[in-house]
Amino acid sequence: MVSSRMRVYLMCWLFAVAALGIIVLQYVRIDNALGDTSLLTGYALYTTLVFLALFNLRKRLSMLPLGRASTWFALHIVIGLLSVVLFWLHTGTFWSLGLYEQVLMLLFYGACLTGITGYAIQRIIPARLIQTEYEVIFERIPGEIAEIRAEVESLILRCTDVSGADTLARHYTETADWYFRRPRFLLSHVFGTQAGEHWLHQNIGIVRRYLRDSELPYLDRLYELGQRKNRIDQHYALQGLMKIWLLAHLPLSTGLITLATWHLIIVHVYAL
Amino acid sequence: MADVVSVARPQRWDTPFGPDMTDADVDELLRRPEIASIDLDRFPAHTPLAGILRNDTRLVRFAPGDIVVREGDYGNSAFLILDGGMRVVIAPSLPRNLLGRQVVERKGFFDSVAQLWRNSWVPEIRDRPGESSRMVRDADLRGSARAFLQDIPAIIDQHRTASISAGTLFGELAALGRIQRTATVFAETDTLALEIRWQGLRELRKYDEGWRRQIDATYRANALKNHFEENALFKGLRSQALEKIVETTLFETYGSFDWHASYRQMRQTGGDVLDDEPVIAREGNYPDGLLLIRAGFARVSVKLGNGRRTLTYLGAGDHYGLSALYDGWKSGEAGALDTTLSALGYVDVLRVPAGMLEEHLFPILTPAEVPRVGELVARSLDEDALMEWAVEERYVNATQAMLIDLQKCTRCDDCVRACAATHEGNPRFIRHGRTFDNYMVANACMHCIDPVCLIGCPTGAIHRSVESGNVIINDDTCIGCATCANSCPYDNIRLVEIREETGAVMTDPETERPIMKATKCDLCEGQLGGPACVRACPHDAMHRIDFRELEEAAKQW
Repeated sequence: MVSSRMRVYLMCWLFAVAALGIIVLQYVRIDNALGDTSLLTGYALYTTLVFLALFNLRKRLSMLPLGRASTWFALHIVIGLLSVVLFWLHTGTFWSLGLYEQVLMLLFYGACLTGITGYAIQRIIPARLIQTEYEVIFERIPGEIAEIRAEVESLILRCTDVSGADTLARHYTETADWYFRRPRFLLSHVFGTQAGEHWLHQNIGIVRRYLRDSELPYLDRLYELGQRKNRIDQHYALQGLMKIWLLAHLPLSTGLITLATWHLIIVHVYAL
Repeated sequence: MADVVSVARPQRWDTPFGPDMTDADVDELLRRPEIASIDLDRFPAHTPLAGILRNDTRLVRFAPGDIVVREGDYGNSAFLILDGGMRVVIAPSLPRNLLGRQVVERKGFFDSVAQLWRNSWVPEIRDRPGESSRMVRDADLRGSARAFLQDIPAIIDQHRTASISAGTLFGELAALGRIQRTATVFAETDTLALEIRWQGLRELRKYDEGWRRQIDATYRANALKNHFEENALFKGLRSQALEKIVETTLFETYGSFDWHASYRQMRQTGGDVLDDEPVIAREGNYPDGLLLIRAGFARVSVKLGNGRRTLTYLGAGDHYGLSALYDGWKSGEAGALDTTLSALGYVDVLRVPAGMLEEHLFPILTPAEVPRVGELVARSLDEDALMEWAVEERYVNATQAMLIDLQKCTRCDDCVRACAATHEGNPRFIRHGRTFDNYMVANACMHCIDPVCLIGCPTGAIHRSVESGNVIINDDTCIGCATCANSCPYDNIRLVEIREETGAVMTDPETERPIMKATKCDLCEGQLGGPACVRACPHDAMHRIDFRELEEAAKQW
């Protein structure tokens, strides 16, 4: 059965390809008549850029029945990809010579690349987050880590009180404290390697042989808390990645729209 | 080994309904004709009538105009008028604003857009208490406030009402059947009433023939025939046959009316829910009648290995045991039940005797109309895992559970922002909750079929919307008592401190405590386009669903 998501994408592709087909036909007609095609492709491209920017506006107008954001998102993806074709059709080159054009192209390519990267991140990361079998709200992560650290520290103190030995406490202050202080091994989590888990296993393992029997349950609990912290770190890295790409995409897109508008004004003032 | 602490086992009457009831009150009640006619010897030693009166009832005084029960409310108690008089509003119903209900008007386009600049950065801004406070009588020392009607003569003049006097019992069907009150009753004069909570009412009905006859007769006369007529199984029966069935049907109740309290406790402490569920019919036993679910939910399970596997769950209008009875009648040999039926929290059951079915229903029933569990048993554990989880977590109670597909959700919080944008800047749910595989049920009001949060609201502020059926809170009449928030088994109602536009927290001048209001998802009642959260999700990860429709709906996602 075709899911509603696929149906929406299919419709968007049909619509976008049809629109592009009409523009290309018109382009060929003007070109064959030895006319200027840049106005057609330029306005078509500018319209798509404005439409792409409207997606952000739609998000802010969630109180109005402006259609589902998922439909807008599908259109954003499809039209965004087709705008690359329009862009090449308009510029007729992969890299222009003029400085202003080069800045425009840089912004366009930047917005496209960050957009495609963002889309890939959004499709891949959620599935990886499920595999942690843990769920946490991004903004609560510092609080969660602080809670774990407080529990670990009280555990270490209890261990010292009960066993009368400070081996685990010394080991904690020398090395493990570093791990529990803030999110660690972020790049490893982004690339899906197990550096955090490996470090934890190693760090717990090296002290085990020096502990008394009465200290071992505390070490095991420390390991459990460390594993929980590792999963939270994973969320911090991956959820952070899902947010951070927008910090590149949005400024690039804003810059692109601004310069494209200026470009349009300049063309109308001096070239027509 | 863990330390063991010895404590007294909790008893049923540890928390009396009315803590102020005295022995003198009980003696006085025992002399009243409605109570004096009860045969004391029929009550077991552990549940004497005096104990019921002492612990399951309370004396309530109403001033003229006080609303005793509101049409549409859910309640867990009935009232016996002892002294004074009340009026029941027959038609037309009282306007919703008089009952403390919210009249939600759909926003226009410009009002919707204006939310962009009208929403404040300060959370939970409210106007100073005004109109609403005039509808709620001040809380007494026990903290109970009450909505009241100001102009009784005008109400009597404009509405058809009936007078009810001392000796009248009302509200028993809503209390026992967990259904909405069908009419509004208010005090006409200074009135003393005996409020009987459902547990006491159940015992009175169980041990006293007179009370049982009265309650059952009211139910049979008012609701039972309709219930059968609405059930597809009995559609083909003639009126006379239906009446005979109505006459012989037995009423049964399983589980606890207050299931949400024990369920919350169980969720916090862990434990196997299935072990505590009261069994209604057991696998392998012979059925003596068809069980019809009238209210609540029941789990159908089979033994599997060392545990029990949930095949499905039944809700109001569903029936159980038909195939075993029908096969037995066809073959002439008694057929055993192939599944177990147990109560999910609280369930109200009608038992139609087998003899009645054999005489009236089976002759017109074709084998194809008899549902079988074979198809359900053939499904793999994996196919049913989500449903098993939903039953375990009691999410089956939901009509609008907020289900998030974590496989698609990018945690962008557009849903939360959309919710805030449509609620004066205050989100009404938390994008967090219990998870199973790639699904999460977020902490958003599920607009339950059995809305336990509605029980006990002293002002009727939390209610079901007449238009949409959604459970909503009238902010104006909410007194912040937290009854609803404490009752919600899913922690989906939040109490918030209200503020002035300056950001200052409003406090009660007498106690200097902050004034609280209960808040929750209202499914964007009054907003254009329905729930903003669902529409705002760019990845179609969020859905508002009824778990009964989950499988079909999931195919579309």
